Amino acid sequence: MSLEFTKSDAFTMGVELELMILSTHDWDLMRGAEDLLALIAKLQHPGDIKPEITESMIEISTSVHRGYHEMLAELVAIRDTVLTQAQRRNLAISGGGAHPFQHWSEQRIFPKERFFHLHEMYGYLAKQFTVFGQHIHIGVTSGDDAVYLAHAMSRYIPHFIALSASSPFSQGIDTAFDSSRLNNINAFPLSGTMPFVRDWAEFNAYFDTMRDLKVVESMKDFYWDIRPKPEFGTIEIRVCDTPLTVAKAATLGAYAQALARHIMIDRPHEPSIDLYRVYGFNRFTACRYGLQGGFIDAYSRERRGLKEDIAATLDAVAPHFRELGSGEALAAIVASLETGQNDSGWLRENFRKHGALSDVVRLQSQLWAQP
Amino acid sequence: MDDVSFLPTFPLAAANMMLVGAVLLCGLAAGQVFVRFLRLPRITGFVAAGLLLGPAVLNLLDQSMLDELSIFVDISLGLILFELGRRLDLQWLTRDRWLLASSVAESLLSFLLVFATLRLFNVGGVYAATAAAIAMATSPAVILMIMHDRRAKGALTERLLALTALNNVFAFLLITLLFGFVHLEYKANWVKAVAHPLYLIFGSIVLGYLAFMIARWLARWLGKREEAQFVMLLGLIVTTVGFAISFKLSVLLALLAFGVFVKNRDRDHSLMAVEFGPGAQFFLVVLFVITGAGLQLSELAVAGAIGAAFVVARAAGKLVGITMFAPLSGLTQEKAVLLTVGMMPMSAIAVVMVQGASALYPEFGARLSAIVLSAVVILELVGPLATQWALTRAGETEATRPAEART
Repeated sequence: MSLEFTKSDAFTMGVELELMILSTHDWDLMRGAEDLLALIAKLQHPGDIKPEITESMIEISTSVHRGYHEMLAELVAIRDTVLTQAQRRNLAISGGGAHPFQHWSEQRIFPKERFFHLHEMYGYLAKQFTVFGQHIHIGVTSGDDAVYLAHAMSRYIPHFIALSASSPFSQGIDTAFDSSRLNNINAFPLSGTMPFVRDWAEFNAYFDTMRDLKVVESMKDFYWDIRPKPEFGTIEIRVCDTPLTVAKAATLGAYAQALARHIMIDRPHEPSIDLYRVYGFNRFTACRYGLQGGFIDAYSRERRGLKEDIAATLDAVAPHFRELGSGEALAAIVASLETGQNDSGWLRENFRKHGALSDVVRLQSQLWAQP
Repeated sequence: MDDVSFLPTFPLAAANMMLVGAVLLCGLAAGQVFVRFLRLPRITGFVAAGLLLGPAVLNLLDQSMLDELSIFVDISLGLILFELGRRLDLQWLTRDRWLLASSVAESLLSFLLVFATLRLFNVGGVYAATAAAIAMATSPAVILMIMHDRRAKGALTERLLALTALNNVFAFLLITLLFGFVHLEYKANWVKAVAHPLYLIFGSIVLGYLAFMIARWLARWLGKREEAQFVMLLGLIVTTVGFAISFKLSVLLALLAFGVFVKNRDRDHSLMAVEFGPGAQFFLVVLFVITGAGLQLSELAVAGAIGAAFVVARAAGKLVGITMFAPLSGLTQEKAVLLTVGMMPMSAIAVVMVQGASALYPEFGARLSAIVLSAVVILELVGPLATQWALTRAGETEATRPAEART
């Protein structure tokens, strides 16, 4: 039995965001997902709002979009729905890849069969998985395209890590990483990257072997940085921290969309196993140093700054941004390259200014709510 | 024979310290027994220890000793009310108007039903009204302690805290206003009847505000260091309690106001939400043991029927008030019932309110305590259990897996 790849329109996109539910008393994470979802269930709202593994998380996802503006508008509407209901319960909501000072041991698994199963299987890792990411889906027309795009896109994974990074603090300390969140994901046995398969048939052969060996039951068991999502007909980029604003989330979605269009139409590089030889290094550097990190280009074998590599990529991708009507997203990325500041920089700056991590959380929840 | 004796003389010096230490240790031991063998809340154990040691049974802690320990009661209540005030987020009230509506409804209905019930028992008007006002308040000490013990967190817990803070505010204000009628009952002139409540209310609020201003100023100077802010707040709380007693103001209202100002007026967030945790445990254990010792089982024999009726009327008022507005607040009826059960505790605060009345006119206090304290005996023992059960049932405590709580 093989995985059927659902065909979808090329370069459509959608994003999922995992959000924090916070107490307005001490700005720690707050168990409130169940109650909040019960309130939201009674309402008409765009997109989808779902539980996540622990009770202090909630996941929002958009429907399928072609345009950046429509996606941003939907994200704003979903954000406002969640926010209004949260305020009825005196809860705050925020973005950010990790809660700065929560203790994972105090988290509680959301009462749903799959989550209890994960907790049983992974033990404390499941609770340490109380980190918050953005997943970006890009539509592809076939399984072969999905495999091609997933490999080619892996060259650019450090871009997404550094641009989205918003988890400098974890368990009450400054981790020195811009994205500490990805370190939590590395612990899972099926994290990392997709094996170097050439097409959908090879992918299916791999998947069947893993299933016969009882290593996995479904695609959900792979925690790869990029994975094909056959039921949606997309590839899913999973390395981004949830940004501090929905605008940033839409920008990252638009970047992935334009980049995918560039890759599939201009075909700048053929996928190569060499990509995965430098992958771990590039990924680490982006997590650790963010936009100030270095980057090794697997094709030219040159070493340069990550910022320069993003800038060069943006030059090549710019026509696709324009074609897709997301020039504003391009401008936003260019602006953050100029300042060299990502969300982690913002969080650190506010910690320096106010002196307490609880202040940082309060301010990030205010930023999230800003119209 | 030498004049200088190195041997101890009777009465022993430092007897007070031994007393406090012994009270603490007995409470702790009883709490442990209750948790481990009876599977009941620790608090019930503390109260039972007090009841056993106190005048009601063994009389090891007699009335004069209890009077000496009253400073601990005042400090503990100060801490609790400050903490409660910090949980009263006025912005929340503007965002969920039904929260305030349900609070007003449950407070008002429990007042009216208890008042009507006591009138049926032929209790005089002013007595019935004062007792009914006391009935409005849920014990914040019990709620905070159960929350802490069971590590309760969640929507119901938050709501319970907010409703407790509100019904305490209503109860304090109403009782203070009723003092005016008490004065009239005892033929004091009307100037006193008007001036005394006003002095109590405004004086206590101003005192709370001053404490807040000093706290904020000190916090800016100390910076965001949790230990430093903890000690500073503790110091200010004790000082404020002292001022409230010296100026014959309401300790309860002043400290509650202090907490409310900290939560709602600290615009630049200089003050951290420090947790009192282990430091406060010492005071809380002593508080519950002393409250237990203050209970009279004989009250139950004399006024048991009134006490039981009081408890039932109070519960009915809270139940109707909360369930009435539950749908508008997006609460299921089950959650509304759990919330009501959680609000049952009534304890030390009620005793202190009775004492406040006694200080005015001892005869009034004696008659009031006969009515209220029998209900307190019942709720002191049953209340913690009710709150713990409600929070566990709602799946918000730590010990239970939600899967079990939901069956």
